[in-house]
Amino acid sequence: MEKLKQYWLAQQLETDLGDPRDPTQRMSFAQTAAIDESEEFPDAEIAWLYDYNLQDYYVPTSSGGKFTSFEEFVSFVRVMSRRDLNIAIAFTTMFWSFLTWMAGTDEQKETLSRQMRDEHLTMCLAYSEKEHGSDLVGGGVTATKVDGGYLLNGEKWPINRATISGLTYVLARTNPEGGNRGLSLFMVDKSQLDPKSYYNLPKIKTHGIRAADMSGIGFSDCFIPDSMLLGPEGHGLELALEGFQITRALCAAFSQGAADTCLRTTLNFALNRQVYGKTVVDMPHARRTLTHAFLDILTCDCVNIAAARGFHVVPEQFSVWSAVDKYFVPVTLEQMMSDISVVLGARFYMRDEHDHGVFQKMLRDSSIISVFDGSSVVNLHALILQRRQLAKTRKRLKPEKMAAIQQRLANSFSLDSALPEFAPQKLELFSRGADDIPQGLPLLIEELKAMHVDGAQSVIIEVIDLAEIILAQLNVQDEVIAHSAFEHGHGQSYESFELAKQYCRLHAAAACIYMWRYNRQSLGGFFSQGEWLVLCIHRLLSHFDVSLKTVPLEYYENVFQELLRLDHEDKMFSIVPFQLARSTSTPEITENHATASNLQLI
Amino acid sequence: MQQLQTSNSSSAVSPAMAIRQWLISQLAEVLSLDPSTIEAQQPLTRYGLDSIDAVTLVGDLEDWLDLELPSTLLWDYPTVEKAANYLVEEFDVSV
Ligand SMILES: Cc1cc2nc3c(=O)[nH]c(=O)nc-3n(C[C@H](O)[C@H](O)[C@H](O)COP(=O)(O)OP(=O)(O)OC[C@H]3O[C@@H](n4cnc5c(N)ncnc54)[C@H](O)[C@@H]3O)c2cc1C
Repeated sequence: MEKLKQYWLAQQLETDLGDPRDPTQRMSFAQTAAIDESEEFPDAEIAWLYDYNLQDYYVPTSSGGKFTSFEEFVSFVRVMSRRDLNIAIAFTTMFWSFLTWMAGTDEQKETLSRQMRDEHLTMCLAYSEKEHGSDLVGGGVTATKVDGGYLLNGEKWPINRATISGLTYVLARTNPEGGNRGLSLFMVDKSQLDPKSYYNLPKIKTHGIRAADMSGIGFSDCFIPDSMLLGPEGHGLELALEGFQITRALCAAFSQGAADTCLRTTLNFALNRQVYGKTVVDMPHARRTLTHAFLDILTCDCVNIAAARGFHVVPEQFSVWSAVDKYFVPVTLEQMMSDISVVLGARFYMRDEHDHGVFQKMLRDSSIISVFDGSSVVNLHALILQRRQLAKTRKRLKPEKMAAIQQRLANSFSLDSALPEFAPQKLELFSRGADDIPQGLPLLIEELKAMHVDGAQSVIIEVIDLAEIILAQLNVQDEVIAHSAFEHGHGQSYESFELAKQYCRLHAAAACIYMWRYNRQSLGGFFSQGEWLVLCIHRLLSHFDVSLKTVPLEYYENVFQELLRLDHEDKMFSIVPFQLARSTSTPEITENHATASNLQLI
Repeated sequence: MQQLQTSNSSSAVSPAMAIRQWLISQLAEVLSLDPSTIEAQQPLTRYGLDSIDAVTLVGDLEDWLDLELPSTLLWDYPTVEKAANYLVEEFDVSV
């Protein structure tokens, strides 16, 4: 841990927030449950985060802030999210500021940086409209050019923090005839508007994140000066789609925080609950279900940490990476939470039992993650449209290109390698057929074959077998794609969505192997032994029509023991299990459940 | 500089014409239209080509020409004629 500086902030924030199971702590489960019931915006908690100066980490160092890496970013967002998604999401609407860091003038960046850091300004993203949903080009809000600025007209809905925010990123049509170049993006500073020219829409009652400011904003002949235009006129759609590539991948961190809490609270129940004279955790079904959940978290870690790092290394591939991440992580973790609800049993449905009903709250709160900021189908669709190009490119990769892929992968995956500064201007609407993760597989397999591993010889053989299956499945899928009639637009078949999901699983399986290959030495212990890796890939490949060798049962038990250890030591369920706030009341764990902690990871 | 030698173009066809023909045949296929109904001067959106389709089509065009092109090419040059002329002028594409 000492070495991986990018996790220090998350660890410090943990210590300063304290154990969320303790009702006296800030953002505890008890307190956030009360906020949820009240449906009142959590002003005091947001103010605490500002006083903590966490907003500085949303502003790049080049603009006067402290943001340096997305890996650090997703780690502290996880820390907030494991306490309360409502607070985490409300505070993190500040990630929309990346639109300005990406496309703003020096002056716009300077002003925004100062306002965020000193005046605690926050923003919302106003793209959606009641009548048009995901269809951004079809939007009805207009910005008509007048002397010195524009007149805005129309309504945006449903918008998170539409009412309680100082700045609104508005996508509006500047040229009715302009097609895809007829939209422009504005950063509308509400303090500069005539208050009579805009209004907020009433709070929307939602299933989860009930205390959020979910509302909307309307404009009627609202004058905004030219200085509020972001990027050139007519470039709004391009900026919007590129901006989504950033925020979509970051959304996965919300799911990861929620997943940690759901697993931790369920594990705790299972460790303490006695039925039929047995502890629940000693029943094989419960034990395996919890083990599977931990494996799913580890898989998502490999995908999302790689994506967070990949932003710095291969931004030009993010039309693919971001779509995979935003589809795969929230959907996998939502499924995982639903799977473990059978272990928690009746209490999963109760709003005030067991850790103040945090499980059902996380379940409700997190179900929006796969919907907002581009839903699962929207992300799969984005992938489908590039799928044929990805297949073609993989087929004709030359050795010199492979060497470059290998170098980039080493940087994206080695957690102790330095990352280049994020260059948002390198984001592209399509990746020109590039996706390093599946495309680097043949070289990865060669490397695995040449690897000398002490003590994990059987694991390495299994991993090579599995990597070859992943590659074979990719080849099969690429053949299917090459021989199927390609549909453009929104007429994609149901089957093509299923194939895209399979592509995400193969991408995830490969990501797990790279993560292991590049960090085996530095992360050591449990991580290095790689039994988790074999099980994670098995879980992913179980969705394919392939026969897999049976995994030794002790692998499951060893993974379960690691889960117990991390819980006992209050560490994040993660491939980088950083220290969480110490429990104020550690439950007694008997010898049967836990093993001695001989593997100090970090 | 790229030599266009595809089944769509004969040696008598100018580069701009070859690109036009290619774009029209692609559009006809993508949008299930009769190629003769696609006019080179009409905005592509009029035929139902949406924003992301237009980006995907640039990918196909890159493949065909073996060139790296701006992904928003068909947003900026939104008719068959404009796109073909732009390619000939900016990228010196020749037959
Ligand atoms: C809690 C919450 C917070 C939100 N916050 C914001 C915000 O801050 N800013 C903002 O701008 N918006 C926000 N939204 C809006 C959200 O992004 C929209 O829900 C989204 O734009 C989709 O709109 P829609 O549900 O009306 O679906 P529509 O776009 O009307 O689509 C309907 C259905 O069509 C299908 N479909 C759509 N696109 C495709 C495709 N490409 N391929 C296949 N099928 C497809 C899907 O099944 C979809 O559900 C928020 C929504 C919620 C619920």
